[in-house]
Amino acid sequence: MIEVENLSKTYSGFRAVQGISFHVNKGEIVGFLGPNGAGKSTTMKVLSGYLPPTDGKISIAGFDVVNDSIEVRKRIGYMPENVPLYTDMRVNEFLRFRAELKKVASRKIKDRVETVKQLCHLKDVENKIIGTLSKGYRQRVGLADAMVHEPELLILDEPTIGLDPNQIRSVRDLIKDLGKHHTILLSTHILSEVELTCTRVLVINRGRIEASDTPANLTKLVRGGGSILLEVKAAHLEVISKIEALPDVEDVEVTLPGDGDWTQAKIFAKPGVDVREAVYGVVRANDWPLREMARVKATLEEAFVELTQD
Amino acid sequence: MAFWTLFKREFISYFNSAVAYVVLFGSAFVQGLMFTIIIWAITDSNFKQASVLQIFFSWTLFWLLIFVQVPLITMRVFSEEFKLGTIEMLLTAPVREWDVVLAKFFGALTFFLVLWLPVVLDLLALQLFSSPPPPVYWSQIGMTALTITLVGGFYISLGVFTSVLTKNQIIAAVLCFALLFITFGISTFRWFRHIDANVLAWASYASAPEHIQNAGLGLFDSRPIVFYVSLTAFMLMLTKSILESRRLRS
Repeated sequence: MIEVENLSKTYSGFRAVQGISFHVNKGEIVGFLGPNGAGKSTTMKVLSGYLPPTDGKISIAGFDVVNDSIEVRKRIGYMPENVPLYTDMRVNEFLRFRAELKKVASRKIKDRVETVKQLCHLKDVENKIIGTLSKGYRQRVGLADAMVHEPELLILDEPTIGLDPNQIRSVRDLIKDLGKHHTILLSTHILSEVELTCTRVLVINRGRIEASDTPANLTKLVRGGGSILLEVKAAHLEVISKIEALPDVEDVEVTLPGDGDWTQAKIFAKPGVDVREAVYGVVRANDWPLREMARVKATLEEAFVELTQD
Repeated sequence: MAFWTLFKREFISYFNSAVAYVVLFGSAFVQGLMFTIIIWAITDSNFKQASVLQIFFSWTLFWLLIFVQVPLITMRVFSEEFKLGTIEMLLTAPVREWDVVLAKFFGALTFFLVLWLPVVLDLLALQLFSSPPPPVYWSQIGMTALTITLVGGFYISLGVFTSVLTKNQIIAAVLCFALLFITFGISTFRWFRHIDANVLAWASYASAPEHIQNAGLGLFDSRPIVFYVSLTAFMLMLTKSILESRRLRS
């Protein structure tokens, strides 16, 4: 659906995006992650046809973004950051205007506007002036606008920023639902959202792509995908030395001070190796009283921090 | 048609803003006042022959009114889109820059013409309530209306141009006012005595007050038509290329 080759974008001498390449297949929901100023919004603006690329080649649905801009724009629904809307228009009026502008056939306009209002739960504010709506509603009006012409591709720049937890949940469900029929590229800072909605994640930092994988695989990049929490009654030095002696264990961290005679340790194994059985073997061999043993999965947040921190 | 959709939105949006009603009310008030004063003056000084139309449109107050109207109408057309960021939403829809520029221009021009409707009502009242009713010369009325549309169109295109330069509406309005003053300044050349005849002829070619005066006499002259249409087209082309380059830079 999206093919990006060597895309660069320079603003007055500053290279916001430095030769990135990626592709998005039809039907994917791809999360675009990165710290502020990493080049996410810039890339999305270039994809949407708003900014011309300084260098590189981008095609969307087989059309070149620069040369066939109008064709590309017909096929994408773009929701910019901060959702700029005409604040003097009513919701109904605005959606009808946008549908007309995006060349929805006139006999279908009424239907499409009704459908997107239903999908985005806008029925109760349909006759209100956009300027009087709360942030959450405006966000949903923006989303409704982005999909009013049934685009093949949705590009959503931070669709859940500024929403309350309930609204975030409803937008997330909506995006998941939309993913059944549309290809979606969305940027966000809320990592739990990405884990729940996206089939793939692109991590961008300082204008470069750092990683591209499923959320689950990305978390595996972090110190073997997680750690084992162990709490035993033993001297902490003894725990460290005996467990570190195991062949597949890379590191053992002890939380100090312990709780009385108890020692709490975090065990990091080599990527992809499950050392729980071996650890339990050590515990039994030394006859340590055991209070807790649990596997702690690495979060996407840890992966994000690891990939984007210098 | 993207143009038609955008044009409708542009024109209707004037009636959603308070500024528009203030301008509309102010214009109607000033026009009514001018009209009343003219009628008084004519009846008071017992003119044998006078055209209300001619006096009205050669009065300096008429130009002053236009110079206030035009910046107020045009200052927001692009500036507001830049300020609110809606330009991004607008230009990522499948529309061409030309559609946007033309829709904004014609939307503003149509609203400008609406501002002059009260004069039509004033003239109608004059026709209905005076006895005997004054004679109507359609060629004079038609030429005056056409010239106001053409001059208005050129001035509006200057305003649309200044609006695409900045996201600050006040700056756009002040720039527009300055440009209007410069173009109008050319017509004051005829008041100077020691001025080259060639310059004077050139100034008269570009002088809006002279064009309106001639139109008030019912004279058809194709030169001002070509003059205004080509200048308006030029300003709109400039506006379009600046709109594009602003996007390149942003």
